[in-house]
Amino acid sequence: MTRGDKFLAAAILLTAILAIAFPRLHSSLFPVATSSARAVIKAQGKIVREVVLSDSGGRSTLVVNGRAGPSTIEVEGKRIRMKEANCPDKICVRQGWIEKPGDSIACIPGEIIVRIEGAAPLDAVTR
Amino acid sequence: MEMKRIFSTRRLVFLSILVALGAVLHVVEGMFPIPLPLPGVKLGLANIVTLFAICLYGLRGGVAVATARVLLGSLIGGIFLSPGFLLALSGAILSTLVMAWLFKHTSCFSVIGISMAGAVTHNMGQLLAASLILRSSAVFYYLPVLLLAAIPTGLITGYILRSLLDRLEKTGQLRIMKME
Repeated sequence: MTRGDKFLAAAILLTAILAIAFPRLHSSLFPVATSSARAVIKAQGKIVREVVLSDSGGRSTLVVNGRAGPSTIEVEGKRIRMKEANCPDKICVRQGWIEKPGDSIACIPGEIIVRIEGAAPLDAVTR
Repeated sequence: MEMKRIFSTRRLVFLSILVALGAVLHVVEGMFPIPLPLPGVKLGLANIVTLFAICLYGLRGGVAVATARVLLGSLIGGIFLSPGFLLALSGAILSTLVMAWLFKHTSCFSVIGISMAGAVTHNMGQLLAASLILRSSAVFYYLPVLLLAAIPTGLITGYILRSLLDRLEKTGQLRIMKME
């Protein structure tokens, strides 16, 4: 390995760490009320469902029709996951649960995206 | 009238062997996903063949091997013209262009560094294609994970190519392959 190689590896590592750390830091400095986060489900470019994710919400499943056929999405409290999918590689299913705003599951063969959006705008701010 | 040839017959033969090798690696690797909970992380063994073609015959060799390999590999794997094929194609072409540029115009990287750069740009090309197919930027959420994964995978494929080049150099076969 040359010095250039090591420099490149370090640069990639640093970029990756920053890209992982920055959104976390940002959300810990400016916390959003995750109790009112919602999951936006898009299929083939259109928003098909919006689900409110809250602790009080129980377990439920819903079926979304993607390009590769129907996929089952499961919601449990604040978490959401792709439970079953008709796509060949099942990458979306293996990803498991997501729960933080900004997290997303993308199923490319099925053209389905599940993305957790931040809380609704604040009702009021007092200074 | 003689047609202007891009590659000599000798080079064409070696390129064809590389395409066959690349297609097999491409298909076999697709059959065995890495048992990690990471979406779409692969070792990128077919990338070794593309970079080897670049080392031998430059940009043209690399592009020829990369595109032919993806076409052939996806025909064998039965994913021709599917989203997975488009992802593979855009990743392969973008990484080939970047690797060939680095190989020709920089001297500070060895094949290991170039291989790492290829792994990173391959992932970026795939995400770019995925975001166009899905009409959403949500897939870039995977970028940090794929960047991290590109370091070990690029290192491993780079070291394999390094030892391959060393062996071929020692036996003099590299010189034979590079001849017109």
